[in-house]
Amino acid sequence: MKANIFGVSLLIAAVGGGANALSPVGVAEDAAVDPATGISLPDGFKATVFADDVGQARHIVAAPNGWVYVALRRSVRGMGAVALYDPDGDGRSTERQYFAEGLQGSGVGVHDGHLYYSTDTAVMRWPLPESGAPTGDATIIAEGFVPETQHASKNFTFDGDGNLYVNVGAPSNACMREMRKKGSPGMRPCPILEKYAGIWRFDADTPNQDQMSDGHLYSTGIRNGLALAWNTHADALYMAQHGRDQFASFFPEMFSNEQSAELPSEEFHRLDDGSDVGWPYSYYDHIKGERMVMPEYGGDGQTVSNEGQDPLVGFPGHWAPNGMMFLKSDAVPADYRKGAFIAFHGSWNRAPLPQQGYRVVYLPMDDDGNVSGDWVTFANGFAGPEPVMNPRNAVHRPMGLAEGPDGAIYISSLMSGGRVWKVTYEGE
Amino acid sequence: MKANRLFLMVALVATCFPATAQDTDAKRLYEENCGVCHQYDGGGVPMLQPELIGRPRANGPKGGVIEVILQGSTALAPTESDYGNEMPSFAHLSDLEIALIASYVRTHFENNGGPVTADDVKSRR
Ligand code: HEC
Repeated sequence: MKANIFGVSLLIAAVGGGANALSPVGVAEDAAVDPATGISLPDGFKATVFADDVGQARHIVAAPNGWVYVALRRSVRGMGAVALYDPDGDGRSTERQYFAEGLQGSGVGVHDGHLYYSTDTAVMRWPLPESGAPTGDATIIAEGFVPETQHASKNFTFDGDGNLYVNVGAPSNACMREMRKKGSPGMRPCPILEKYAGIWRFDADTPNQDQMSDGHLYSTGIRNGLALAWNTHADALYMAQHGRDQFASFFPEMFSNEQSAELPSEEFHRLDDGSDVGWPYSYYDHIKGERMVMPEYGGDGQTVSNEGQDPLVGFPGHWAPNGMMFLKSDAVPADYRKGAFIAFHGSWNRAPLPQQGYRVVYLPMDDDGNVSGDWVTFANGFAGPEPVMNPRNAVHRPMGLAEGPDGAIYISSLMSGGRVWKVTYEGE
Repeated sequence: MKANRLFLMVALVATCFPATAQDTDAKRLYEENCGVCHQYDGGGVPMLQPELIGRPRANGPKGGVIEVILQGSTALAPTESDYGNEMPSFAHLSDLEIALIASYVRTHFENNGGPVTADDVKSRR
């Protein structure tokens, strides 16, 4: 049933494409994958495998010097990042330099002539080299993040005014008194909100800023905002968060396995200074189109909440938005230029139903950052030909997104040894 | 609370029945309490939750799995962990429920560690 509704909405989105020149069509759900790359793309786009077996690739950045830098979740021979280069421009890198000795991390970015990188406890930077891997010790920019196990990645982005925005995920599911224990109520006020579950803003150039004494809590109530990007067209911050897990484990009387697979929504938000997304007191239900009271806080799956702003879009549950990107160049057709590309890592929380979401989607937006149409799938096929009953059987899972100086799009995956694809628009 | 008591009764009744009834019960208990994280096939989730197939703590000496169920992540040294999630304690389940789950883990997903008893659980509380 769910799958059907989903199919229909995709169809509507696809049909709608004909009516408006700026509504992209995306790639059809059943489009064949290119055997050379394992993925499918909309007509006119072409992919190459830019790099294979790089290690557990997380976020990526394509720098103005032509190199692609990849953060590694687990170090490779003691190195926590890798630099990749394709000298002859055929879409396949042949040069590879590992760096960031003794570190491992998730975030990477370029700002004002520097290469930034984050471990789970700090954001640091090197001067961006003319080519290849940076050398010497990195300068710490933001630090003091508490080491955690759950939602520990410190992904980040920059605005146009010299500010750095860092996601500090909540080491928690729903701020239950006892961690992930059935029947344990949520704490109010949730003490986790003090140091976590928000976006902290720092000066991008000042060394050694401490999260709590120097950082500014820019936006709160965010369980884990791994997909975080500055929209240069609208000059605003956007974020997609990972919704809470395990409705059916803790509240089987309110949520069937089917409902628990679909809910809560993965929420896509515009974040202004002082905004509150509502975690842990509320969640969003895209089927009802309402923000609901979290069951740990007295919700029953039916009661509407007034805590937290509504998202611009509620994506299906547990798809795990891990990367987000807004393009700056005009190398792609006009209907793909102003909106958000979101890389969904794919679910684990939909069992016993098949897992879903292993794809990159495109959400059309206008110059002012308003959503202007239904989202479409931009890249698909990552997980492989079979329905994914267990995420470990997914061949690839999209992770980071980046735009090269020439407008090429890069997509990373950390499965099967770690891969980076390069996607270009070649025309019809 | 009521649900818990019902659980217990079902579990107790199950002990008096032949192996198949207990099996169904063990499967249900595993799926309700563990399946979402370790998946219904015991395969785990890369980077988040370990697989339970052939792992020493699932299939080795029977104390391993019982301690993990009772204490959750605190049963494991932090250096042992390469996972981005934490396991809660299930000490609120009864000895029998834990024994059924542990036995299910140790006799399914290609594991052959063999069953454990409620007394094995009790002695490790
Ligand atoms: C919320 C998710 C979650 C649930 C629910 C859960 N586990 Fe775990 N489990 C984990 C994580 C995460 C680890 C790894 C712990 C660590 O590294 O701290 C783990 C570790 C284990 C291990 C040790 C594996 C090894 O090789 O070290 C066993 C055995 C295990 N779990 C069994 C169970 C059983 C049985 C249940 C149901 C009673 C259960 N788990 C429920 C997340 C979970």
